[in-house]
Amino acid sequence: MTLFHFVNCALLTFGPHVVYYSATPLSEYDTMGTSIKAAVVYLVTALIKLVCLATFLKVPENEGFDPYQEVMKVLIGLVDVAGLYFALTQLTHRNISQNHKFQAVGLGWAFADSVLHRLAPLWIGARGLEFTWEYIFQGLEANANLVMTLSLAALGSLMWLRKNKPKTLVPIIYACAFLLATMPSITSYLRKALEWQTREVVGFEIFSSLVMAFFSWQLFSACQRPL
Amino acid sequence: MAAPATTEAFSLSYSMFSLLLILFACVELGDAASAVHVYRLIQYDLGGVPLGSRISHLNHHAASLPLDPNADLSRSALLVPLLDLDLSFLTDYITNKKPLGGLVILLPQKLGNKFADFGKHVDLTRVKSVLNQLEDLLVHAELPYPVYFAYESSTFDSLLGDIRGKNFSSQPATSTNGGYKLVISTPEAKKLSPPTISNFQGWLPGQKDGDSEQLPTIAIVASYDTFGAAPALSVGSDSNGSGVAALLEIARLFSRLYSNPKTRGKYNLLFGLTSGGPYNYNGTQKWLRSFDQRVRESIDYAICLNSVGSWENDLWMHVSKPPENVNIKEIYDGFSEVAQDMGFSINVKHKKINISNSRVAWEHEQFSRFRVTALTLSGLSVAPEFLQSTGNLHDTRKSADEKAVARTVKLVAESLARQIYGHKGKKLDIFADGSSLAVNVHRIQSWLDLLSRTPRVAPFLSKNNPFIAALKKELSDHTVEVHVQNEVLDGTFTFYDSTEATLNIYQVAGVTFDFLFLMVLGSYLIVLFSFLVITTRGLDDLINIFRRPAVRKSKST
Repeated sequence: MTLFHFVNCALLTFGPHVVYYSATPLSEYDTMGTSIKAAVVYLVTALIKLVCLATFLKVPENEGFDPYQEVMKVLIGLVDVAGLYFALTQLTHRNISQNHKFQAVGLGWAFADSVLHRLAPLWIGARGLEFTWEYIFQGLEANANLVMTLSLAALGSLMWLRKNKPKTLVPIIYACAFLLATMPSITSYLRKALEWQTREVVGFEIFSSLVMAFFSWQLFSACQRPL
Repeated sequence: MAAPATTEAFSLSYSMFSLLLILFACVELGDAASAVHVYRLIQYDLGGVPLGSRISHLNHHAASLPLDPNADLSRSALLVPLLDLDLSFLTDYITNKKPLGGLVILLPQKLGNKFADFGKHVDLTRVKSVLNQLEDLLVHAELPYPVYFAYESSTFDSLLGDIRGKNFSSQPATSTNGGYKLVISTPEAKKLSPPTISNFQGWLPGQKDGDSEQLPTIAIVASYDTFGAAPALSVGSDSNGSGVAALLEIARLFSRLYSNPKTRGKYNLLFGLTSGGPYNYNGTQKWLRSFDQRVRESIDYAICLNSVGSWENDLWMHVSKPPENVNIKEIYDGFSEVAQDMGFSINVKHKKINISNSRVAWEHEQFSRFRVTALTLSGLSVAPEFLQSTGNLHDTRKSADEKAVARTVKLVAESLARQIYGHKGKKLDIFADGSSLAVNVHRIQSWLDLLSRTPRVAPFLSKNNPFIAALKKELSDHTVEVHVQNEVLDGTFTFYDSTEATLNIYQVAGVTFDFLFLMVLGSYLIVLFSFLVITTRGLDDLINIFRRPAVRKSKST
């Protein structure tokens, strides 16, 4: 019975990535290589972030929200953005359109993120006898994370790969990208300082990911019009 | 083309949402697993007959009262507070050998040591009578399922509340419905090697007048080990912790008198702490057998102390020789003199020994079988049955009163002193309160506290236990020639280990929940797939995926 629960939660956590790959034209254009390369870049970025966190952050004495530590975490979170930049611009990809490039990179990035952060707790915890909602929430978070990473990759491709953008939209693009990049800090602020429950935080993540996805989609299509 | 698809999608999402609502209603957000310390019912063989709880591991769903009359409990563990337990129901289950997955009985907090002062108020006399009946039932029956005792706590209160709530929907918890699972994972109990019983003795030699005649001896004896339904909880504060505390205090007082040669009496005093009490005083028999016959013959009489912590105005003197016997009469007169001065009464009770019957109800009977005059002072008026009043579950610290023990000490000490120093019939108060020979109630109190914290069932009390060392040290402080005799208990009893365990309580969701969740998940992924195909490749592609086999068929024809 509990292995059943593990299978369910694993489907919830990793299923959407597989579905996304097979449902969209990504599978037709065989962009698997790009996704794998993006996953590797994520791995390296995660290692760099770990080293930075270990060097610059102190062990917190109390559970409260420490603004200086959080600012430090935001700065280190920007390493993430640098990693995405590298994946989008520096890697040599096969000749695929920009549209699919950011999707492939975003998908690989989000998949690596899910596997690294969520597979181990899932394997160890969800097979136990005790039932908790924790792993279902984790799966929902993984879904929200996928959407957010795709949005961030879209905005990133707008920022770095597209040369001619309407001047008015540029600050909005940068603002949205910054908001997406700092999303982890925002959720930890909600969890610790405002003491929201897990389901409220997950609900907020899903809602905000959908909102940001909508905005990025609008921006992306707005920038595509002149071409 | 898009419009019907969106309405389809909308209705699908609506049905999914309602399904999710049903899911959430089925399983409430639960606490994480809890772990509670539990104490196992004893498992033993008596003359080859298996008795007690024969299984130690538990892995079943929790069930509680009130029960459906036809409920099948063979795969459930019944969790029931002591005062809610219907003994006729349990007797029915036991005598008819109905299958039961397990039994966990919750004891009131007031019985435990930790929460005795904070526990909910409960009627202790009712608890005592229910516990007596329950223990009698469980200890003499063979139960092929695990039986555990635990103390009530808030964890159990909320657990019972939840289970009772589900009971009202008349669906017992099974693996398809969810509920709580009680898991105790301990290995099966193994037979223990025959237990060692340790008998202690200490002498206070009297003042010889220079001739080589052996001085007469007076023995004071108490047995210190216990037996109860839950060996880990069997502390026996009254039976017989009170006897032990009284004996140690008497030893201390007389050691003060005997330390000065001027006040040393013309009697030897022998103090004996025996083990093996619940098993027909087997230890006492072995102890007496180990004596040289001359030493045994020099014992004038022996005073055995048993359950002297719970009496108010009446103390009983149990004898096996008829009360008209000269020696018995003399001793009784000595005691009742002092008792009258102190304001209570002593009653004699005569119980003949039946040599052919192996049952030994009082410790003095073992002395009588060796033709040594002996008596037992006890607060109990009736001889206990086999394995009764030997440290039961209700016999915790509160059932032994140090003032009652102090009164007993004063009675015995005064009577002995009057006899030893030849002051019979005189109105004296040798051990007066406030004097240097006063009975120290605080000392008795602290010994009772220690005894109430130490379960003393012989097979689980090893030779190296610190309690044994403490007894030896205390005896050595007050007496000389302290000797420990280690013997093996006679073979009719075989004990099994595993007396304590940890109970894990898990809230489980049930297979129905998992299936429902899988269906919801499946439909979510299908909807996501369709949505993505429609938005990125167009609706035609989605339809083509499903039409492909048909297209191929038409092409082949």
